[in-house]
Amino acid sequence: MERADGNLRSNLAERARGVGSLRDFLELLEEHGQAVRWSDRVMPEPDLRNIAVAASRDVNNAPAIIFDNIAGYPGKRTVVGVHGSWDNIALLLGQPKGTTIREMFFDIAGRWGDASAQISRVSEGQAPVHECRHEENINLYDILPVYRINEYDGGFYLAKASVASRDPLEPDDFGKQNVGIYRLQIQGPDRFSLMTIPAHDMGRQILAAEREGVPLKVAVMLGNHPGVALFAATPIGYDESEYAYASAMMGAPIRLTNSGNGIDILADSEIVIEAELVLGERVFEGPFGEFPGSYSGVRRAPVFKVTAVSHRQNPIFENIYIGRGWTEHDTLIGLHTSAPIYAQLRQTFPEVTAVNALYQHGLTGIIAVKNRMAGFAKSVALRALGTPHGLMYLKNLIMVDADIDPFDLNQVMWALSTRTRADDIIVLPNMAMVPIDPAAVTPGKGHHLIIDATSYLPPDPVGEAHLVSPPTGPEIEELGKRIRQMQRGDVR
Amino acid sequence: MTPAQCPRCGSDGSTADFRGVDDGETVWTIWRCNDCCFSWRDSEPASAIDRKLRAGEFALDISDPGRFPVVLQPSNFQK
Repeated sequence: MERADGNLRSNLAERARGVGSLRDFLELLEEHGQAVRWSDRVMPEPDLRNIAVAASRDVNNAPAIIFDNIAGYPGKRTVVGVHGSWDNIALLLGQPKGTTIREMFFDIAGRWGDASAQISRVSEGQAPVHECRHEENINLYDILPVYRINEYDGGFYLAKASVASRDPLEPDDFGKQNVGIYRLQIQGPDRFSLMTIPAHDMGRQILAAEREGVPLKVAVMLGNHPGVALFAATPIGYDESEYAYASAMMGAPIRLTNSGNGIDILADSEIVIEAELVLGERVFEGPFGEFPGSYSGVRRAPVFKVTAVSHRQNPIFENIYIGRGWTEHDTLIGLHTSAPIYAQLRQTFPEVTAVNALYQHGLTGIIAVKNRMAGFAKSVALRALGTPHGLMYLKNLIMVDADIDPFDLNQVMWALSTRTRADDIIVLPNMAMVPIDPAAVTPGKGHHLIIDATSYLPPDPVGEAHLVSPPTGPEIEELGKRIRQMQRGDVR
Repeated sequence: MTPAQCPRCGSDGSTADFRGVDDGETVWTIWRCNDCCFSWRDSEPASAIDRKLRAGEFALDISDPGRFPVVLQPSNFQK
């Protein structure tokens, strides 16, 4: 762990606010030993996958890995694992390595609604993303050093692309631009399919464009500002701008420019692919190894035709390993799955003290709550199922008391072991559920399970056991720090 | 180049989309099945691209395309 004195913290915070691009962030990561260059020659398959998986086993400390010697892709570079460990996320947030997940959760939760966006614009001629431009004879394989992410994926995927689009019916409304992460499968030299569902912003826009017969243009940004990658996956309202939101959450300015097809894009991204929806056409898409650790099925998905590609000189193609956890997907979106649920719950129930929805995008969540009365936590759980994310994802919910840290699974297991009665479990069958839940009998439907592991309060009969109350608080935390310093030899 | 057989659906119709070249020598070719849209690189491990070795549950029969769910059913979609 880095020594987190005041100077280091303020320096780190300033450095994080100064990050304006993927390149800036890789430089910061390298300074802290959190990015490495892999210059031995590798085959696209299976080497890139194997190395990415090996790195992601160290969820706390894994570095980003930059490959610059890939067989068949001379001179091209790819990076994986940029958001692949808690230490990398900590540095992005301006915190020292070794910052606990709990600390980062409260850091993010505290930023909600706390700052204003700083959006600036640069002309296309000044934007690094437009340094090189291709408008004819485009072959995505000639630009992107892609590889098969999981062995039985249906093709070569761009799995960490931020897709920007304007509402096809209201193209002049800045707020109704959408920026989201969608999986894209390359479907030939200048086409790709895009996987979405009607509930996603992109799904709404595709349906609207096809219904009205109007064009839907998109700009696919690769190798982006790491804050946008982090926050573009956060569910926010349809008419809120993801750029403004990311800037506010990072407390840092974001530079935008125009794509060649008239969409606001990040000026400092590595690569942008401009494309247009092929109205009414569907192509086979999938399977794809998804975040629950299972393959999605084969479906027929919308397809886009590439119209141009811009990129920086010597661009870095950023991709992700996603599959059976832990993977970069979990560290990329875990805290930003948890924080909105926390914020939304506290609007109704300020008794909620923390939310851990790190597990498979919240298929399991743990909520800590000050239990006001017998059975209170069950009502909080039902409210959680009514949040935008809870509706489709919170399959298993464990409710614990406020004296349990939901990010400490030893404490959660203690609560389960000592505070659960068989009649404190509620199963709600045949509810809406994210279709890629591998346990689903009918994809799109599933159960919600609530386990109330909070303590008993009157009028519940409590029994004769009384809890041990070990010492807690700042004094114990200081003693713990001193013990760790003694272990490192910093203090004798 | 002679079209390669699709490792996933067995179709003989495929297109070479790109050749990876190092020092003037082709080190692999990316193929795409014209029927089931599967894409593969001919340098991949045999377990993924040899139809005889590939796991059976990842074979694909597209003789009845209507059995595959359509993402965002368009109003004028022809099955």
